[in-house]
Amino acid sequence: MLEIERLSVSYGGLSALREVSLRVGAGEFIALVGPNGAGKTTLFKAISGTVAPASGRIRYEGRDLVSAAPSERAHLGIAHVPEGRQVFPSLTVLENLEMGAYAAAGRGGLERSLERIFALFPMLADRRRQLAGTLSGGEQQMLAIGRGIASLPRLLMLDEPSMGLAPTVADLIFERIAELHRDGGLTVLLVEQRVAEALQSCDKGYVLETGRIVLEGPRQALLADDRVRRAYLGM
Amino acid sequence: MSVGPLFLAFFQVLIAGLLVGAIYGLMCVGLGLIFGVMRVINFAQGDFLMLGMYFTFYVVSAFGVFSFLGPQAAPIAGALLAGPVLFAGGWILHRLLISRVTGTRAAAEREAGQAQLILTLGIALILENGALIVFGSTPTAVHTPLSWSAWMIPFFGGASSVLFVNKARAVACVVSVLIGAALYWFIGRTRLGKALRAAADNSEAALYMGIDVDRAHSVAFGIGTGITAIAGGLVATYYTFQPYVGFDFVIIMYAGVVLGGLGSILGAFWGGMTIGLVQQLATLVLPMQLQNAAIFVVFLLVVQLRPQGFFGRSAERV
Repeated sequence: MLEIERLSVSYGGLSALREVSLRVGAGEFIALVGPNGAGKTTLFKAISGTVAPASGRIRYEGRDLVSAAPSERAHLGIAHVPEGRQVFPSLTVLENLEMGAYAAAGRGGLERSLERIFALFPMLADRRRQLAGTLSGGEQQMLAIGRGIASLPRLLMLDEPSMGLAPTVADLIFERIAELHRDGGLTVLLVEQRVAEALQSCDKGYVLETGRIVLEGPRQALLADDRVRRAYLGM
Repeated sequence: MSVGPLFLAFFQVLIAGLLVGAIYGLMCVGLGLIFGVMRVINFAQGDFLMLGMYFTFYVVSAFGVFSFLGPQAAPIAGALLAGPVLFAGGWILHRLLISRVTGTRAAAEREAGQAQLILTLGIALILENGALIVFGSTPTAVHTPLSWSAWMIPFFGGASSVLFVNKARAVACVVSVLIGAALYWFIGRTRLGKALRAAADNSEAALYMGIDVDRAHSVAFGIGTGITAIAGGLVATYYTFQPYVGFDFVIIMYAGVVLGGLGSILGAFWGGMTIGLVQQLATLVLPMQLQNAAIFVVFLLVVQLRPQGFFGRSAERV
């Protein structure tokens, strides 16, 4: 579904990604883990088009994504739930979700999407008229995910959904993401610093360090890998 | 029963304040939309107002396009037509120039703010001096019989105490309120309006939703330009103007927008209304020359007590 080949990105001469290659198959749950500053967010931004690659290819469902305008990419079925949630603070919860459904795919099915989102996160239903800026961090994250799936995407990209959340809230978020993948058949690309949780639910994982993929493999192989166990799982 | 002359004078300036305030409100809404959505300090806003005035003047007084509507309605039709025409002008200006220093293209550049100031200041200078060449420096006005006629409203029954309501200003006030309300509905209720607000809140996240942020900015810039041009056309029915007239109003517009709370359309309207009221009420106690000084005393007081303005949000979680 998504194929990235030898992608490099640099910011003013500093290279953030170096020849990164990655594949996401339809229906897969891919986790991308690694320390701060490894380039995970940059990779997401390159897929969404808010940073331009220096070289390399990004193909999505067989078409070249780099030549598509950033605002077109949501219309192709890609939903990006950005780092730090980035909900629209002066819009209500409901308006945020409507904006999530801005891309053509979600527009017709807004009612059904809302039902699904409110079933997933009942808290949002109670607060639908509240301004998103007044929600707690956990609620904002739920809203950001809800907004992401409101477009009925085929590929859901989540950037650090657990960032800054209490462990119980983070667990709930991880559970819901796993549910979306398992029951909804959604293709998920997840970036996380909480490596254990991320690797638990994925089919396949990539480890990114200082702009390079240093390790990749199916879940079991990664969980069993000595380097991963020592560096990320504290074992 | 006779009413004290001071009491009568108070109501007279109160009405004048409400009438002028509504038009100031509409101007502020135009500027507030551009500032709220794009965060661009637009120096040329006063000159869009000026273009609206000259547009109305040429369409109505010079070419008599709307003469079939009669002398009362023609200036209003001219002012309303200035809206869509300057919307197109604003849209093109944004596409060709403003978008080079704002929005997604400028997001990565740290010095975009300075480029924006220089660019809009340059546009302002070109518009003012261009207008001087094309229209000349002679002060002019859109003539309408409404300008020098007034409704007389009996006040507390007394035969001698009558309130005067200038017809041109009253009509301009009603049109301003209607257009302001229409814009408020558009921003609050329509899909495009919500997309504009989303792009204003967080342009990067808006892109992830599939909102074409640069196009949204063109729409906002066009609407802001068109609205201010309509306000200009309405003002032109009772105010003498020349190519530098924008300067008389641009400070008032900025004060109104800040007073109402940056980024709030409703706030911008009430900010403009407040300025109209203060300006007129000040004439009761202060000499005419200090009208605008009174505005800024009140402005400073409000900003001191409530820095976020009437409708601004003081804080929010991130």
